[in-house]
Amino acid sequence: MNKFIEIAGRIGSQRHLVAIRDGFVSVMPLIIVGSLAVLINNFPAVNIGSLSLDFVGSMNNMFGEGNWQGLGGSIWNASFAILGLLIAFSIGYNLARSYGIDGLAAGILSLASYIMLVPVTADWGLNFAWLGAQGLFVAIIVSILVTEMFRYLINTKLTIKMPEGVPGGVTRSFQALIPSMIILTVVAGFQLFMTLVVELSVFEVIFKAIQQPLQGFGDSLPAALVIAFLNHILWFFGLHGTNIIGAVIEPVYLPLIEQNLAAFQAGTSAFDVPYTVTKPFLDAFVFMGGSGTTFALLLAIFIVVRKQRNHPYHQVAKLSTPASLFNINEPVIFGLPIVLNPIMLVPFILVPVTLTIISYVALSTGMVPKTVAIVPWTTPPIISGYLVTGGSVRGVLLQIVNLSIATAMYIPFVMAGAKAMTAEINKNKATTEEGEKIS
Amino acid sequence: MNILLVCSAGMSTSILVEKMRKEAATRGIDASIDAIPESRLKEQTNVDVILIGPQVRYLEGKIKSSVDVPVAVIDNMAYGMMKGDLVLDQALGLVNA
Repeated sequence: MNKFIEIAGRIGSQRHLVAIRDGFVSVMPLIIVGSLAVLINNFPAVNIGSLSLDFVGSMNNMFGEGNWQGLGGSIWNASFAILGLLIAFSIGYNLARSYGIDGLAAGILSLASYIMLVPVTADWGLNFAWLGAQGLFVAIIVSILVTEMFRYLINTKLTIKMPEGVPGGVTRSFQALIPSMIILTVVAGFQLFMTLVVELSVFEVIFKAIQQPLQGFGDSLPAALVIAFLNHILWFFGLHGTNIIGAVIEPVYLPLIEQNLAAFQAGTSAFDVPYTVTKPFLDAFVFMGGSGTTFALLLAIFIVVRKQRNHPYHQVAKLSTPASLFNINEPVIFGLPIVLNPIMLVPFILVPVTLTIISYVALSTGMVPKTVAIVPWTTPPIISGYLVTGGSVRGVLLQIVNLSIATAMYIPFVMAGAKAMTAEINKNKATTEEGEKIS
Repeated sequence: MNILLVCSAGMSTSILVEKMRKEAATRGIDASIDAIPESRLKEQTNVDVILIGPQVRYLEGKIKSSVDVPVAVIDNMAYGMMKGDLVLDQALGLVNA
């Protein structure tokens, strides 16, 4: 078991994976804003009885059909639509900083190298198709290679030496000069080779060879189950599961939601967008209250120990509820505890796995719309179900069904756990009383 | 005294920080207590003790080798129950050791 924690820990702190993960974390605000812009542009009419609220329709009436949506469109173009570009910079930046070298220089070099490889259109423009999620894997590979080259060149002292007395700022500005020259020449040489010999852009090659097959597998039930299982087994050992596997999940799943969003933006209904399994799918329908669907666990605790207000379970649940509304559940995971607790191991893994299957069936058979928006993972359940499905009550209904099933599944285990804890408390009490008698 | 708590996003730990600050105030201890994500650890200067959230305990070795102040992992239960007093005790113990 220690071996397992050690290996998981090594993956969780591996420099390049951490740089990838932090790279995604840095651009996430922009991605969420871009996603919400699309959601607002295409928000469906809400009908409550005879009252109809049609935001898109009334905006169209006010400003002319489609005019006002230019606002959200521009935001999309400068955020989600250039995901690859943003990631190239932010991974280079984060990786360089982890080595303690100039992050800004490495980020800029990664960005420049990425741009160099993007196919140029006939009228001397950059092809947007490769600036976004489709270019994500190139962005990751390029930024890591460029930053590693940069680090190597800086460390070989292949830099311009300044005589003494030259201000530090001037020295620094020249320090990156020779490494930059070498790196850009190498990348340009590679681009020339791809154009003249292979006659394909590196984007097409990587996309077809790596990204597309991975995404095809990513959108399957087995992949979703592997993620749910891995995440929870890691948490059971007290390790931050989502953090450790995040570097793998984001690059595979962001392009899927991007294509859903793009289709939704083009007028496809949320039922007919291409992909079922996305990160918002897991966040909204499985990780309610945090990993392990612990929101349902709290409900189960309140039901089981409702009469024993002083029971430790009740106290943990009360303490954990406010944070859990926002899907933060470390208090209940470490406080109940779930970590290394054999009674809780079964439901903690079984519940999310079951919910993943139910949700997958509900979305892929068209009972519930697929996910067409990214909301912050801290968005409370019910609200998140409504928003990620593009404003559908069916998303909320699926969340309620899932929460009910999860709560029912947790109840027997909570009863067993609570009983064991009560017995232990009574035993401790008995021994202390005995001890007092003796003394 | 500067106490720094490190976790993955700095979110859950910030709940604990609030409780520790209250505890420090009632005891009349002059301490600055903050929670930060691991990625921002490098920017920190002038720290007296670093406590790591148990969910990222695998960072212990890495952090220990990069700083020269006491580093420890917060106890599971103290963390889960958000026991500000116990964690503050742990921090004080490390500094005075």
